[in-house]
Amino acid sequence: MFDRRSFLKSSSLVALSPNVPAFLKQTLAETKAEHDEPILVVVELSGGNDGLNTVVPFGDDQYQKNRNKLRLPEKQLHKIADGIGLHPSMKPMAKLFEQKRLSIIQGVGYPNPNRSHDVSMSIWQTARLDKAEHRSFGWLGRAIDALPQPRQNAPAGMLIGRGDLPRALCSRKSVTTSMAALSDLMIEKPKRMKMMQQKQSNDLSKFVEQTETNAFATAELLSEISRRQKASKVRYPSTRLASHLQLISQLIQADLGTRVYYTVQPGYDTHQSQLQTHSALLATLSAAVQAFLNDLKANRLEDRVLVLCFSEFGRQVKENGSAGTDHGTSGPVFLAGSQVAGGLLGKQPDLTNLVDNAPAKHDLDFRQIYQTILAKWLKLKTDKSFEKSFKSLPLLG
Amino acid sequence: MQFTEQKTNDLLQPWKPSESEPWNTRRVWHLHRRAGFGATWSELQRDLRDGVDASVTRFLQGKARVDGVPDDFENIVKVIGNVARSSRQISQLKAWWVYRMLFSPDPLSERLTLMWHNHFATSFEKVRVVRMMWQQNQKIRTHCLGKFNHLLSAVIKDPAMLVWLDAAANRRTHPNENLARELLELFTLGEGHYTEADVKQTARCLTGLRVHGGQFKFTPEHFDRGDKKILGKDRDFNCDELLAFLATHPETAKRIAWRLCDTFLGENVAQKKHIEQLARLLIKNKFDIRSAIKTLLRSKLFFSDANLKSQITGPCDLAISTFRALELFDHSPDTITIAWQIDKMGQRLFEPTNVFGWKGGRAWINTRSLVSRRHFVNATFAGKLQRSKHKIDVGKIVSRNKIDPAKTSEFFWQLLTGTVPERFERFELKHAQNTVPEILASTHAQLQ
Repeated sequence: MFDRRSFLKSSSLVALSPNVPAFLKQTLAETKAEHDEPILVVVELSGGNDGLNTVVPFGDDQYQKNRNKLRLPEKQLHKIADGIGLHPSMKPMAKLFEQKRLSIIQGVGYPNPNRSHDVSMSIWQTARLDKAEHRSFGWLGRAIDALPQPRQNAPAGMLIGRGDLPRALCSRKSVTTSMAALSDLMIEKPKRMKMMQQKQSNDLSKFVEQTETNAFATAELLSEISRRQKASKVRYPSTRLASHLQLISQLIQADLGTRVYYTVQPGYDTHQSQLQTHSALLATLSAAVQAFLNDLKANRLEDRVLVLCFSEFGRQVKENGSAGTDHGTSGPVFLAGSQVAGGLLGKQPDLTNLVDNAPAKHDLDFRQIYQTILAKWLKLKTDKSFEKSFKSLPLLG
Repeated sequence: MQFTEQKTNDLLQPWKPSESEPWNTRRVWHLHRRAGFGATWSELQRDLRDGVDASVTRFLQGKARVDGVPDDFENIVKVIGNVARSSRQISQLKAWWVYRMLFSPDPLSERLTLMWHNHFATSFEKVRVVRMMWQQNQKIRTHCLGKFNHLLSAVIKDPAMLVWLDAAANRRTHPNENLARELLELFTLGEGHYTEADVKQTARCLTGLRVHGGQFKFTPEHFDRGDKKILGKDRDFNCDELLAFLATHPETAKRIAWRLCDTFLGENVAQKKHIEQLARLLIKNKFDIRSAIKTLLRSKLFFSDANLKSQITGPCDLAISTFRALELFDHSPDTITIAWQIDKMGQRLFEPTNVFGWKGGRAWINTRSLVSRRHFVNATFAGKLQRSKHKIDVGKIVSRNKIDPAKTSEFFWQLLTGTVPERFERFELKHAQNTVPEILASTHAQLQ
């Protein structure tokens, strides 16, 4: 494990600076080095993930019957329960499942499912079924509004990646931001810094100076973290998702103070020739999540982090004419990290009771999962804004 | 409410220079940074020469700036505005506004447009129509120094605002409180001065407002007629009556007074009694914004020592004032990239954080934004923010302004931070190129 204390103690910056960075002061004072606020990392699988070819009910005749070109061979699946297996390219996640670092929840949806990407995504992101409220605040935005303000003016929620902030993070009063690369936080110590070291007389300039010292310390810390990561055994695959999760890990290690991170893996809208595309997507997801958790584990931070992977809907049961699948209804959700209960929750989707070629009924409402995360993980009081109160699920250890 | 003038110790009385508080470069710099977006050395010298009255008057007359201001400024912004609207790119509209902040002869109007944009925080993220954002911005600019009730009415009956706060979803049969709540909490009375019942009744008054064909439209069939009880008043309020009632409410006066103090005064400078005093003045002058600002900018409070260098420099302040102070006019500033840098420093024009707008003050400063500030300074000096990619030469402005080269250090400290610090390392003209960026990135430059 990387020892921040001794690194920072030996840091040239500390010797140079008249202000010891705030977080360093805490670090040096505490025997328990780290803050322990739980952190939530959300991975949006954008486009509508084919749940039936992710958590595969190979024991179900209906699956065998409806999937022809897209049927996954039983012997390549990673069995997780009787008649159920994970997609062949999800070996890393199968391993996490074995280690009880992954909970899989099947058949997650909501009443009167909508098959428009936009509408369904808005429903998941705002946790509101009423369209009129879809341009309002997101479920994570409401959560960070209710959490204490992060330390050092850090943003409460952060999108890692390019593109617009997701509706889920839209808050009424909290600060959220996006970031795509570590370079956004990297800065070289100025050569002539000595000249600038003034004894600051008033409180406001002290505040600026202190934050500046923190910025340099964070930059130094981050470059050290990334140097150590390169030297360590933890390897991240060279995919965009993995690099985003790696960046999140670095920010968590640098103790930035942000509580909710969000990132998007696009490409799940597989209407044609889905076999290869989907396999590559799941391989990317699976390997990235594993690398991320192992990295956190190596830094003794896995206990503080919960990963949630969701998609706006599943896909239809019978494949379409172009070896793809069309928009469906409910689908599986993943929760990962050392604090999850592990195992498989929720009933296997009933493939005999279909509406327009997709399961008519969901087993669990996604808002139950949100409720669990808000109450048991982020330790918030019930989100009043949910239309009705949802019971928590036994998802966390 | 009766306006009672407090003769003694009234900090809103006009400030007069004295031996202990002289009209000096520091105060001229202060005026330009707060009322505008900084000044060139010759503008500072002009106002130093002409005195405080002439200088403040110039701001109110829209003539505070001359250097770099193109003769056909109005035509140019018209063209850039047209381009932005037809491009449908918000980045182009940001560039249009940055151009205005950089080159308008009337920086006070830009400062106030920014202030009201923050007060009526509306974001392109939801509105999605560049033309609507442009239109709202123009309306705000038109009314920024006028009567608050005119401004409020213009901004409420505004397509961008109506889209932003879901006005179309607010109907007689299906009320939506979004617009009503923000109208009461953020635009007028402020938190704690209304009840949830008032929100519901206010929402009823605002039914029937919608956007049709990109324009504001009132649809009477969706309007909820009948008596409404708001803040204890029973009346068949329609939208106009409601807005007129709220715009001239004493609590609204306090909130506007607070907003003005928050914009023009530093941290903890205005006390409750000053805000209340300014609020009384607003009421007395029928909510005339110009007279309130005139009083404030001319006041003892504004020029007091306590108010100097007591505000965190915002992202627009830092970017625009750097370009003005260093006179980077000749090599066509790349306003799209400058706007992008301002975004990175945390102030996404036309995309404020949320309905509360940017918090400002200390919230501007965090690990990430300080890094972005340094990146901005480095990019400026590398010439990356000019279309010609011309590497800037700071030495030039020393000779252009006929500064004694021996006074190079003092000159740059004053120009960029308003004051020469007690202790600093002197540097020669030939080292200015490397040292000036450090001044701009220093703690001193983050305060104004």
